[in-house]
This record gives sequence, structure tokens and C-alpha cells, in this order.
Amino acid sequence: MAVTTRPTSRRRLVKRPGRLIAEIVTVVIAAMVAFPIYWMVLSAFKPAGEIQSSSPKPWTLAPSFDSFQRVLTVSGFGGFFLNSVIVAVAVVALSLLMSFLAAVALTRFNFRGRTVLLVMLLVAQMVPIEALTIPLFFLMRSVGDVAPAFGLNELGSLVLVHLAFSLPFAIWMLRGFVAAVPVELEEAAKLDGASRLRFTWQILFPLVAPGLVAISVLAFIHAWNDFLFAKTFIISKTENQTLPQAILVFFKPEDTDWGAVMASSTLMTIPVLVFFILVQRRLVSGMAGAVKG
Amino acid sequence: MYVRRSLTGLALLGLIAGCAPAQSGPAGAGGDEKTGTVRVWLFDEANRAPKEEAVKEAITEFKAAHSGVEIDVQWIPVEGRADKFSGAFNDPANAPDVAEFGNTDVASYVAAGAFSDLTADLQSWKEGADLLPTVLDTAKVNGKVYGLPWYTGIRALYYRTDVFTELGLKPPTSLSELTATARQIRAAKPDLYGISVGGKYTYAMLPFLWASGGDIAKQEGDKWTSALGTPEAKAGVQAYADLIKPDICPPEQCANLTGTQSVQAFSGGKAAMTIGGDFNHKAVEQGDVKGKYAVVPLPGTQPGSIAPAFAGGNLLGTFAASKKHGLALEFIELLGGAKYQEKMYTAMGNLPTLSSVQQKVATADPFLKPFVDTLKAGTKFVPSTPAWSKIDAQGVLPTAVQQVATGGQNVDTALSAATEQMNKAFG
Amino acid sequence: MSTQQLLPPAVAAPPAKPLRRRRRDGRAAVLYLAPAAILLAALLAYPIYQLVLISFFDYGQPQAAGTAPLVFIGFENYAQLLENATFWTVLAKTVGFAGACVIGSLFVGTSLAILATRVRSLPRMLLFLAALGAWATPAMAGSYVWLFLFDTDFGLVNEILVGIGFDGMAHHSWTYGTFSAFGLVAAEVIWCSFPFVMVTMYAGIQAIDTEVLEAASLDGASWFLIAKSVILPMLRPLLMIATIQSIIWDFKVFTQIYVMTNGGGVAGRNLVLNVYAYQQAFAGSEYGLGAAIGVVMSLLLLSITGLYVRSQRRSDAWL
Repeated sequence: MAVTTRPTSRRRLVKRPGRLIAEIVTVVIAAMVAFPIYWMVLSAFKPAGEIQSSSPKPWTLAPSFDSFQRVLTVSGFGGFFLNSVIVAVAVVALSLLMSFLAAVALTRFNFRGRTVLLVMLLVAQMVPIEALTIPLFFLMRSVGDVAPAFGLNELGSLVLVHLAFSLPFAIWMLRGFVAAVPVELEEAAKLDGASRLRFTWQILFPLVAPGLVAISVLAFIHAWNDFLFAKTFIISKTENQTLPQAILVFFKPEDTDWGAVMASSTLMTIPVLVFFILVQRRLVSGMAGAVKG
Repeated sequence: MYVRRSLTGLALLGLIAGCAPAQSGPAGAGGDEKTGTVRVWLFDEANRAPKEEAVKEAITEFKAAHSGVEIDVQWIPVEGRADKFSGAFNDPANAPDVAEFGNTDVASYVAAGAFSDLTADLQSWKEGADLLPTVLDTAKVNGKVYGLPWYTGIRALYYRTDVFTELGLKPPTSLSELTATARQIRAAKPDLYGISVGGKYTYAMLPFLWASGGDIAKQEGDKWTSALGTPEAKAGVQAYADLIKPDICPPEQCANLTGTQSVQAFSGGKAAMTIGGDFNHKAVEQGDVKGKYAVVPLPGTQPGSIAPAFAGGNLLGTFAASKKHGLALEFIELLGGAKYQEKMYTAMGNLPTLSSVQQKVATADPFLKPFVDTLKAGTKFVPSTPAWSKIDAQGVLPTAVQQVATGGQNVDTALSAATEQMNKAFG
Repeated sequence: MSTQQLLPPAVAAPPAKPLRRRRRDGRAAVLYLAPAAILLAALLAYPIYQLVLISFFDYGQPQAAGTAPLVFIGFENYAQLLENATFWTVLAKTVGFAGACVIGSLFVGTSLAILATRVRSLPRMLLFLAALGAWATPAMAGSYVWLFLFDTDFGLVNEILVGIGFDGMAHHSWTYGTFSAFGLVAAEVIWCSFPFVMVTMYAGIQAIDTEVLEAASLDGASWFLIAKSVILPMLRPLLMIATIQSIIWDFKVFTQIYVMTNGGGVAGRNLVLNVYAYQQAFAGSEYGLGAAIGVVMSLLLLSITGLYVRSQRRSDAWL
């Protein structure tokens, strides 16, 4: 309901010259924050001699696509990109579904052990994931014996693992949004004859959409940037490697190809940015719901 | 209430006591199929094309000789090899039949039980007798050979001929001369490092240690103990750390340099000397110092002597659980034979391990002379025990060198801390 | 006030028919929780259990591969860890480093959120876009770019500093000094973590009832005072969530330290716990010790977070 109110009277609260200074400061800070990204993209376009020169310039007069070419022609690059997309999309879709259901149960339903579960979810986020790689390796190997698509060397194993690591935080965040929807709404729907199931999917789900968007962004980043589990699980089937693993190829011991490293990093960052831009408006309004939690 | 609590407590205890961490099952006996796909893991290189060419030729020759056989090569990035090999050891179904690996990794890989014992096979191999003994030693664990040495890498002293001529200097013939020369150069040309070496460049530090009469560790029967506490070891480490000082290679820039970075500094024209390998030739040629450098063996403590070098190199091994053991062995004997060792030299500049081939390429290419001389003068290796990869990963030696170089600890404290850590790892 | 209103109804169950509602809820709860619960039990709870188990054994690569027997060694891994003086030094540095990152991201994120409420949509959009870019950049890429910018010989920062007159800064190594290296990495971590705080705080501010803000402003309070005494207290629940998340993330930092200090700095003086665990245990395949460090880290985080929550638990019931 009244999750956000955009006050029109706000403008009257702020004095004009103060606002101009604030705006200038904002733009300067935005430029400073964006500068490393600009540098990354710039280095991707610089010709080889300019990248590691003793007088680096924040511009280049001879932009070249060489680095991008080297990256894109890495054998199987397109495949790795696709693998990353598949894993990320699967993780986002499934985590939305599962965390929504769990959040509804943990917020709206009354049952013993609710607090314990919530605390366990918080504690689960504290374990350093690097420590869990060996147990998970053996677990996925056993899973692979039962369900080959989810075993080692398969993308399914990555989806499962990233789901498991995104869910605790997702559930925690979504709780706040679900809690913000007034109980009266559910009561009213029940009086109108709607079953709980109908209420949950047709009314509650759209209402927490901003929260779902926030979670999908975080899950996407987590799955997209993962390097640790991809390199632990995908061993002999190189066609199932994901993007970060492909970038590793450019870190050669004798002669790291910095242009290619920057180009591939740029290529990795773009989809996330695109995703962000598409959802940023709902993201911000979505975060407001977390206040209620 | 209490019943429930105590029951849960008992259940927990039961869980912990009765259960054990997951383990992989035994790898299986392996087999000797004569057809099918042989899986091969090779290291990816900065410029893979020449290596790939040579390997493709070998594959064609192999397939011609064996019908019904395919060879599937996977290129492993060197930086990420640990996880790939861990995965192979933990899940034999994912393991290849043949793999290239560094000789410093042999002991720990053998402890994981993955590679097969090739001692008898190499002895019966017709080219086996030609393998250089010092290089073959690096493939041995407890006297047994676990890999076919494919190529070796030796380091020597690169120096700037133009700078030396300008200052009227001669290449140093002893380590103390080296230090003095480096100081002289930096005093005359403050924008150059006298010699570019780094705190993390362990393979450049080891010759100093060995030349001074020290050693990394001593083996008595099965037990290894650190030998870094001896006066000779201290002298050697001190001599190396003295190079990472403001008057030669300042700690601010040099304390954290790795081997690659040290050579890069030299090829970028920032240093008058460096310790580099035969494998760095191409990179240095492509740098700013092309045509202005030469190489001599790294001298020892006595004038005219050569410091023992670290015998690096890569081996080809077969997995014990491989179902195509015979084929795998034949493939590595082909790839590691004289013909392809020579091709690899032409493609990658890798020093061959068969003495006849080495002789041949050394005669043809004068650039190799100092490296071959160093090899002939005697090389040494790291302790061939699984604990070494732990010590290496923990950075025990680099930390000690860095402490001395930055003045954080004196050489006695730093080396006794290192000794303690090493002995803990040796067990 | 408006934020509090919504809490009690949502949290407390209406007392109408308690017994029947609880039973009904139980079954439905199981159904709704099942997917997440099964997945988390299998992929999180079980491996964590395995982790604790491994920490009591001498477990290395040979044991994992099945070529050496498992030896139960009780608390020996923990003893080895806690007896090592280096561990305590690294722990102290980790707490300090993480603390600086948390405070930094909270400060920067909250200030910029407040700033964003004072400007029109275009500057705000630019700021948010830049922040989202920082957030989206993969940790490894961001670390390398920052390392580039601050490189001793090829870095832009040194060149600019020399250009504006600080000649002593030529070839200055930002990663050599212990504090300097930590400072550089902290700057990078704050750069990529503040967006989360900023967006969360901004949304929280947007949700504050404008009447309250108007009243305060009409009373003549400067906007700085408004920020301090009105906005911040109302954001406390949100701040707490952001702080807890930041503590958890910044305590576990690995990639940035590993990349930017070349594996832990000169003589390991820039090690933080996660990198220490990697160096001492995982890189050498000492999984038992690594598991022990993992367990210790989790317990530490639990205590730190617990202490923080306890100290904040003054007004709002946040569970």
C-alpha cells in the first residue's frame, strides 16, 4: 500500500543555491566513482603498446578492437558466455520462486521453530564459501550418480550451488517486503472468498515485485561473477566452463595479456549493467519495502 | 523437555563420532584398452600456437600408427592447474590418461596416488638411457620415477652489454663481484636497478643459498628436517637479500617481485642485470633491450665457479587409473622422444632433456651455451616430499627473504622462524 | 511512526482462533518451506556439517583421494591454529580492516543517499548509474583496474601527482607499506560495496513520511540537523541490516586482498583471515586445517554480529 510516497512538497524544503552545490558535488562524485570503470573500458580499447606505458593517458588516440578480438576468438568464448547466461538465469528464476515461498511461510505463517530457522539462515551466510568447496565437490559427485544433469562437470551443479548460497540472503530480504503487506489485505481477500493460495499468487506476489527484483539482481551478480565453484566443479568438460574461467586463460605466467583481461572484464560487466539499468527504477522502490522489515 | 534435549545431544555425539568425512573411492586398477580416446592435459602457453602445432603433428603420427585411437587434448592454464588436478585426483572418472605437470609438483601428486610408476618403463625405453641424470632425478620420488622429463628450464645471469661497456665493467665472476657491480651501476645510473630480483623470486635465491654451501633441507631415511639454520644458509640468504636494498633494487619496488616481474623489469629496460631462464629468451627479445644484452652463467662464491642452478622443468606422466595404460605410455614416449623434443625447442625454446638433442640444439644456437654450461656444472632441486608443496604454498622462503630485505627481521630470526615452519610441515 | 505502525499487525498473529490457525499454518508452512528447506539442507547444512567433521581429522589430498586412511585428531587442527602467533596477528588485522571497510561503506553510502535526496533526477541518475557500475564490476576486474591506476611505474595516479607538483610521488609504491596497502584495498572494497548501502538507505529515506521532514524543516532546523536527528534514527532498522551484511561480506574479503597485495603483501603483513586460510591450508591441500579456520571464522562472525545486534536491540523488535 503506502510503501512510498513521492512528496511534491519536498522541493520546498530545499533552498536553491544549496541544491546547485549539492548537484555539482553529486556529479563530481559520480565521475570519480565511474572513473575506474572508464579506465577498464579504455584499457580494453588501447593498443598493446599504450596499456603498460610509463606515461599512461586517460584517453587514446588510436582505439583498437584488437583486445576484444583476441577475447572473442578464444575458442568457445560464445559457449562460455552462453553457459554463464544459462546458469545466471536459472539461478535467478529458481531463487525468486523458492525464496518467495519461504519468505511467505516465515513471515505470515505461525509455527514453532520460526525464529530458529531465521537465525540459521543468518548463520549460514557467515561460513566462508572457500572452505566448503571440498565437501560440496563430493556432494555433487554423489548427486551426479543419481541425477547426471546436476552432477560434476554439468551446469546443473553450478545452478544448485548458487541457489543454495543466494537463498539465505534472499529470504531475509524478502521477509521485509512480505511483512510490509498489511494483514488486513489477506483478511479482506478471505472474506471475498479467495483461498490462501490464490491470495498468495495473485495478490501478494505482484505486491512484493520490487523486492523480487532486488533479489534477482543480487542473485544474478552472484551467479554471473562466480569463479570458485566453476573451477572446482567443471573439470574435464571444458565446453561447460563459464565466463570467468575463460578469462583466466589470459593470465599467463610469463606474459599476462592485460588488454585482453580488460576487454574480457568489460564484456563480463556489460550484461550485469544492462540488467541493472532495466530494473533500476523498481530496484530503488523495491528497497523501500525492506524498511518495514 | 530434558529428554528431548539429551536425545538431541546424544544424536549429535553419535553423528560426529560415527561419521567420517567424504572420501573418494579407490581409483581402480586401470586397464590396457587398445582403442578409444586418450585424454591428454597439457599446459596452456602465452603463445600456444607453436606448441599446439608440434603436438598436432605428434597426434597425427600416433594415430597413423594406432588405428581406432583418438587423442583429445585439453589445455590447462598454469595458474589454475591446482584445482584441475585436485578434481582429477578426487574423481578418477574425470581424470585424464596423460598429463603434463611441473616437477615441483611431483611429490605431492604422487602422495595423492595418481600417477603410475614409470621407472621400469623408462629403463626399457630405447631413448631412456639418453635422459640427463640430474633432470631424471627431479622426476623421482623415493627413488622411483613418476614422469618422463619433457623439458627443463635453467636460469642464468642476463646483463646489459651497453651499460657494461659504457661503465667499463666486466660480467661478474663471483657473487660478491655481482653485488659490487650492481651497486656500482646504480650509483652511476640511479634510474636503473643494479639487478632486478625480487623477494618472491625463490628460484633466483636458491643458487645463492646453494653456492654458499647451504641447503633447504636434509633427508635422514624417511624424515626431512629444515637446514636453513646453518651459517652457510644464513650467508646465502643474506647475500641475496642484500641485493634488495636501496643501493641496488629498493625494497619498495623489489620486495614483492616474482620471477616473471623481475625479468619484465629487465626487458623493459629498467635494470642492468637480472636472473632469467632460457625460457625467457623470447620475452626479452621482444622487449626494449633487444640486441643490447648477453647471458653468462650465474657465478658462485669462488671466482670462476658457477652457482648450482634450480633444475625446473615439466614432466609427462600417465595416470594409474587410466584405462588405456599402454597407449598412454606410448604417447608420452612419442611426445617426449628426440624428434618432438627438438620440435618443442624450435616452437617454444624449451631446453630438451635428452642429452643428444640438447647437444644438437646447443651447438646450433650459441644463446644456449651459458644455460647448458650451468646445467653441466650441476643443478639442485627442492626436497622431493609432499610437504614441499605445502611449504611452497605457505610462502615460507619468500617471507623469510622479504623480512630480511625490508629489515623487518634479521637473518637469524627470519631463518629460525622459517625453519620452525618448515619442520612443522615436514611433520 | 508510520514505519512502526505496520510492524505490529504483521508480526503478531491476530488472536481470533489460535489453536486452529497454528495447526493449519504448520502444514501449509511445511509445503511452502519445502523447496527451499530441502535445497538448503542438502547443499548448505550438510556441507557445513561435513566441514565441521573434516576439521577434526587430518584431511589432505591423499585422504580426499582415498589413498590414505582418515586419522581422527580431535582438536589438534584448532590447537595448531590458535597456538600460531601469526593467526592472532592476522585476526587483529582482519578485524581492523573489515571494520574500516564497514564504517567506510556505511558512511559513504548513507551520505550519498542523503545527498541524492537533495538533488534533481538527472544528477541523481548519474550517481546511481556510476554506483551500479561499481557494484556490477567483478571483484577481480575491479581489483586489477585499481592496481593499474595505482601502479608504481605505470599508474595514472602517480603520474597525476607528479604532474601537479608532488615530485616525491614518482614511482611511489602504494602497495608496499602495510597501512598504505590496506588503505588501497579498503578504498576498492568501499568503492564496490557502498552502492548497496546507498540504494538501501535512499529507498529508506524515500519511505519516510514527508510530514515529519516538513515539520522539522518548518521548525527551522538545518538539513544537516534534520539528517542527524530525524532521518538517521528512523533508518536504524535498515542501517542494522546493512551493517550486518557489510560485516559479513567485509570480514570474508579474499579476491581484493589476494590480487592487490600479491597474495598477502610483503612478508605476509597484509594477510586477512580468508587469504591466510588459503595460503596456510587450501593452497597446500591441508583441508582439515582449512576447515578448522572456516569454523573459527564463522564462530567469530557470529559473535561479532551477535554483539552488534545485542547493542542495537534497544527499541524496535526486528525479528
